Amino acid sequence: MTEFFLTMAILAGLNVLLASGFNMILGYGGLVSVAQPVFYAIGAYTSALLSMKLGVPLPLAMLAGAALAAIASFGVSLPSLRVSGDYLVIASMGFQLGIVHVINNIELTGAASGLSGILSAVEGPGRSWIYAAIVWTICAVVILGIRWLVTGPYGRAITAMRNDEEAFASLGRDAMRIKVTLFAVGSGIAGLAGALYGHYFLFLTPDQFGIFSSATLLTMVVVGGAATVRGPVLGAILLTVLPEAIRFLQLPVSIMAPLQGVLFSALVILFIFLKPEGLFGGTAVGGLEAWQGRGTARSKAGGRV
Amino acid sequence: MTRKSDFGISRRGILAAPLVLAMPNVVGRAFAQTEPLRFGVADPLTGPSAIFGLDQMQAVRWAVEDINAAGGIHGRKLEAIIVDHQAKPDVGIAVVTRLIQVDKVPAFITAFSNVVKAVAPIANREKTLMLSVGANSPDIKNLGEYVYTTFPLADVDMKALPAYLYKTQNKRRAAVLYVNHETGIEGAKVFTEYFKKAGGEVVLNESYEEQRSDFTGLVLKVRAANPDVVHIHSVVSDFTAIVAQMRQLGLTVQVTSFQTAFNPKMIQELGKGAEGIIVTAMAPSAEDNKNVPGYLERWKKAHNREPVGLPYTQYFHDAPYVMAALFKRVLDQKLPVTGENMRKALLEIKSFDLPLTNTITFNADHTVDAPTYFWQVKDGRFQVIGKL
Repeated sequence: MTEFFLTMAILAGLNVLLASGFNMILGYGGLVSVAQPVFYAIGAYTSALLSMKLGVPLPLAMLAGAALAAIASFGVSLPSLRVSGDYLVIASMGFQLGIVHVINNIELTGAASGLSGILSAVEGPGRSWIYAAIVWTICAVVILGIRWLVTGPYGRAITAMRNDEEAFASLGRDAMRIKVTLFAVGSGIAGLAGALYGHYFLFLTPDQFGIFSSATLLTMVVVGGAATVRGPVLGAILLTVLPEAIRFLQLPVSIMAPLQGVLFSALVILFIFLKPEGLFGGTAVGGLEAWQGRGTARSKAGGRV
Repeated sequence: MTRKSDFGISRRGILAAPLVLAMPNVVGRAFAQTEPLRFGVADPLTGPSAIFGLDQMQAVRWAVEDINAAGGIHGRKLEAIIVDHQAKPDVGIAVVTRLIQVDKVPAFITAFSNVVKAVAPIANREKTLMLSVGANSPDIKNLGEYVYTTFPLADVDMKALPAYLYKTQNKRRAAVLYVNHETGIEGAKVFTEYFKKAGGEVVLNESYEEQRSDFTGLVLKVRAANPDVVHIHSVVSDFTAIVAQMRQLGLTVQVTSFQTAFNPKMIQELGKGAEGIIVTAMAPSAEDNKNVPGYLERWKKAHNREPVGLPYTQYFHDAPYVMAALFKRVLDQKLPVTGENMRKALLEIKSFDLPLTNTITFNADHTVDAPTYFWQVKDGRFQVIGKL
């Protein structure tokens, strides 16, 4: 039983990283992307392959996975952040599908058969305890890092950029640079989560990184509270634990499977319409306005410069 | 009146204490000797692959009922804890972790190559015996010391089919279409290699992405290549869609596939277009196994139809019998029921006489061998046409 809870704790920790990274892009940046799972995949495959094929030590391989995911994010951000909203969604979707297609078709990644034989980061009887501790220590560092980033002067610049890009640019600030940075940070965190996933679960397949995983991440961010540090953390924990708790109810499969399927989509719809600030978001709505179809803060007030 | 000690505890109480303390141990042991012997089953019960999973679970339930009706194992009931993995690796990891960590099963059965590969590291790490009962990727033999397959892998029937097509059906030019998926890639690879080895020519080798619905381009390529047989290594719904579109475009060429296409619903949907399709099956037919007619009758009585993927359900039906034999061996040897001892029992017994799949013998490489049966759709139903 302890092992089961530890595995859940590890999964929750990885989801905290993923949701927090996604929150950088969606919540703080107001950038609607659906490509987050592919950065998770890039981190996972890079770290696994570097350690398996080139013998790179695992901590270095994991950092390389995170770095490559951050660099790969330029593939979406540089060409497409000049546009935003629907165009960015389409560009990110294309990027996501394209990279998964590549992973699905090249020998190096094991193609559709998946990649097995990945090196385990920790061995021995205390494996799960140690790994849970590692994952949650990394979570703490990442969360504190995000908090430091968004509460300082840079955080105020991010908020200003998100609320009114034109006014922000008129002050001589470069909105594009902030967007690209947010995208890289969010994607790098996803890459790190992917690397951590691979060296614990030891098998990767392109099926795991489909575009529908974005919906789960979106739910975590929306339910927890976008544009807050604690919101995605608590949303990720809640939505990792909830489906498992439903399994313990021992409901008939014909009820349980649709219930789990409906859970995520129903929560997103309910929260976006009824409580857009999320459970833990206070009054902050952040980039969710983009999802709600509202304009920026200034255009809502009716004024244009 | 009972005299109390300085601590307010009576002497009788002190005397009774060891008995009370021993009770859970005694009760626990007695309970352990009567509690069911549990094993896990992870299969898709929802999602697109549930069409197979649900019938496979029916077969497992019947087998467990029959074993228990015959007295169980040393008077103890066998119990299958069935969980849904939706044929998704990530869900498989979650439910198998639960089976091992929460339900504490010493062994479990599962199927679907992508899930089998994803959960194999867990089985090896946790020293829990895992029997793959319906996954056929040849990679499965290399997944570790706790992973065995009771089901012959694709390199058995996909070696046999090309030889049969070349020698018996006089096919010389094959087109191979396969889904870009674990099962499709591996199956198509073996078929292609062995069709060439048999002396034939592979005139087209094309993959397609899963969940695609329009195959017009693919079918036109087939027509241009002018093969005399088209082998389709696909998942459930694709096969029917591809053959339907081939027939609509006037292509009446011979089609072959593997056990996934062994599906009465496919014949219903394709109607006359299904006539002549040849599929492989690794489980014995009624001619080679006396229990198969009764099993089919049971389906007819309970569900008024044949099972979807009959050969798969035969292997699933027999997996609880393998489990029962392993539990019995472990109990006979008075060993604790652990994954390590279940694996030890499997290696000792090695050969199992089973109701619907005859005798299976585990090879040193964790696989089993079986003859390949060839079935053809004739007059709206599958009929055996050969065996190799």
